[in-house]
Amino acid sequence: MKNIKKILTLVLTVFLMLLYTVPCACADNPEARAIMEKVDARDDGDNQISDMEMILIDKRGSERVRKIHTFSKDKGEDSLKLMFFQHPADVKDTAFLTYDYDDPDKDDDQWLYLPALRKTKRIASTDKSGSFMGSDLTYSDMTSRNLEDYDYTFYEKLKETEVNGVKTWVIWSIPRSKDIMEETGYEKSLLFVRQDNFFVIRAKQWVCDGGYLKYMDVKNIERIEGIWVATEMHVTKKKGKDTVHKTILKLRDVKFNQNLDYDLFTVRRMEKGL
Amino acid sequence: MGNKIIIAACFVTFMAFTLLLPWPTFAAENESLDEIIGGFDDDTQQTAHGLPSEEVKPSAFSLNGNLKLGASYNFAHDKPEGNGTDWRGLSRLCTKLSLELNAKLSSAWQARISGKGTYDFAYAIRGRDEFTDDVLDNYEKELELGETYVQGSLTKNFDIKIGRQIVVWGKSDNIRVTDILNPLDMRLPGIADIEDLRLPVTMTRLDYYTGDWSLTGIAIHEIRFNKNPEYGSDFYPLSIPPPHEDKPASNFKNTEYAAALNGIFSGWDIAFYWADFYNDMPHTRLVSAAPQQTEWKHSRLKMFGAAFNQALGNWLLKSEVAYIDGFEFFNSPGKDYSRTDVLAGVEYSGFKDTTLSIEVADRQINDFDEALKLPPDYAKEDEFQWAARLTRDFLNDTLTLTILTSTFGVTGQDGALQHFSTEYDITDSVKISGGVVLYQSGNLARYSNIGNNDRLFCEIKYSF
Repeated sequence: MKNIKKILTLVLTVFLMLLYTVPCACADNPEARAIMEKVDARDDGDNQISDMEMILIDKRGSERVRKIHTFSKDKGEDSLKLMFFQHPADVKDTAFLTYDYDDPDKDDDQWLYLPALRKTKRIASTDKSGSFMGSDLTYSDMTSRNLEDYDYTFYEKLKETEVNGVKTWVIWSIPRSKDIMEETGYEKSLLFVRQDNFFVIRAKQWVCDGGYLKYMDVKNIERIEGIWVATEMHVTKKKGKDTVHKTILKLRDVKFNQNLDYDLFTVRRMEKGL
Repeated sequence: MGNKIIIAACFVTFMAFTLLLPWPTFAAENESLDEIIGGFDDDTQQTAHGLPSEEVKPSAFSLNGNLKLGASYNFAHDKPEGNGTDWRGLSRLCTKLSLELNAKLSSAWQARISGKGTYDFAYAIRGRDEFTDDVLDNYEKELELGETYVQGSLTKNFDIKIGRQIVVWGKSDNIRVTDILNPLDMRLPGIADIEDLRLPVTMTRLDYYTGDWSLTGIAIHEIRFNKNPEYGSDFYPLSIPPPHEDKPASNFKNTEYAAALNGIFSGWDIAFYWADFYNDMPHTRLVSAAPQQTEWKHSRLKMFGAAFNQALGNWLLKSEVAYIDGFEFFNSPGKDYSRTDVLAGVEYSGFKDTTLSIEVADRQINDFDEALKLPPDYAKEDEFQWAARLTRDFLNDTLTLTILTSTFGVTGQDGALQHFSTEYDITDSVKISGGVVLYQSGNLARYSNIGNNDRLFCEIKYSF
């Protein structure tokens, strides 16, 4: 009898411990989810080319600039993306190729061409919480998210608010598992979704490590060939009220429907360069 | 009573565990409304128009390059006995200018000319009389043509690349098994610039692509071998100069050939290799018995190899195998030997901004004869090597830490080196780096006398 009590006590304790290790599974709000489904379904274009400029600003105000030429194309539900780094000089011609699979059970394929080594390396990393090219964006920010990995609820005190004169919904995005938290690097996010075009124009993200907060703020949004595109976005990483680092991301020469060949999204093309 | 103690212990454990856990914080409970939705920078009005496009027509020509100044300081040498070179202190103060001109000839064709020039002030500062002519000729100054080629597509599936170039085979990063086409600069092991480690050679390369596969055929016209430590340098293992080296001429008869079949699939890659080439490392050959005269000669080898890697979550598994035939040895004249090389490796990228890789390789000479252990061959039946590398980025990729160890024999009994370095981006154009390389002497001939070459190094690099 004593042993049974001991076992039951231990089982109860372990159960409670496990309960606390699992992130709080807040009830998913169907209305908030429906909005996020519309965000996900919004036409983001196909056969896209653009020039991306990232200005990286440290807390002392020193700036570094990254210039990247990007190509992207849909293949069914999957997305193919090829990036050629143009600046600074020491990373020129470095190329990054991603096959972003819609199937959540299938890991993305990623390759990196390093011109200094004349070698293409396959990148195996489901952990996408690392910095993308030294910016405040992570690799997870550069790939699409699976709605089924998150619970969506309206912000408790403010379902709607205006951002720069535009009406938005305010929605919590809470990862459903610790794995997703670790993969993306975010504990939770508060999203501001424009009501007229279902575009996330602001996001506040709670970073898992270090107690940082990240503020994503779309400063310019442009309708190009009928598709809404954030042509300037600021991402600020803060600790408390102090800015730790900031990234200004600008897109130029955005073009859709460029009839890009699938052959473009290959290791062969990475190695040959632009 | 016992149960109460257990329950109390469980409760304390539970509370301690709970307090240590990162709680999922819910803003509404802890923060005010302004704190939750605030914190963004100035509320700039969003506009319906983006930035004006910069219509800059890309130039057909681009010139890039870098200028470096690097220094090394040896701190482990003792004062030499007699008239030997004193390797203590400054061993390198080298400037290097690298230039690369790229031309985009059309949408399908491009060309590159590159080269570098170096001058090492350390020899003039320390007194050129201290060094052998071999050292001065090969280390003090250098002017070299780098990758220089024309590359294009003959058809949609057919590419050609002609000229001096580098072709990297295999999946491993730290140990070479199937990566045999380009010779290496081995003069300063563990310290050579990674971009200068492989030496380009003139070749014609044809690639045919179909689906997930590509077939490559290569003819190597320029016969070029490793740059090894010169007689009189601190990494040269012997006290006597090497014999004359019989280098095959770069002519049609001596052309080296290679072929590869590469498959790239979702989650994994595979490659098969074949090559008919000269051994980069020479063997000693008897030219005449009386008086005894020897020379260095490069055997013609044939290699069959394969490489495979597979991504599994944050893990990248790597493996390579090569069967190489045609090795010759001084102590077994008239007989060819084959060698089987096997490599396995793993790379882990699950730690944030960090990559950790470990590779192990074994090179086994088949039908080994004990006589091959004798000088001047010093061959080993089994050569085991392992390498581990850790790289981690800090401060938004401005600071990179690298730790590399390359070890022959399980515990380094055949020789080893450890490399610790850090690199910092001062600006987009200027980087500084520094570190230390530690060497361990061992049974391998080329590592037999390097244990006191430990050195500190630093470098500043301006890229344009």
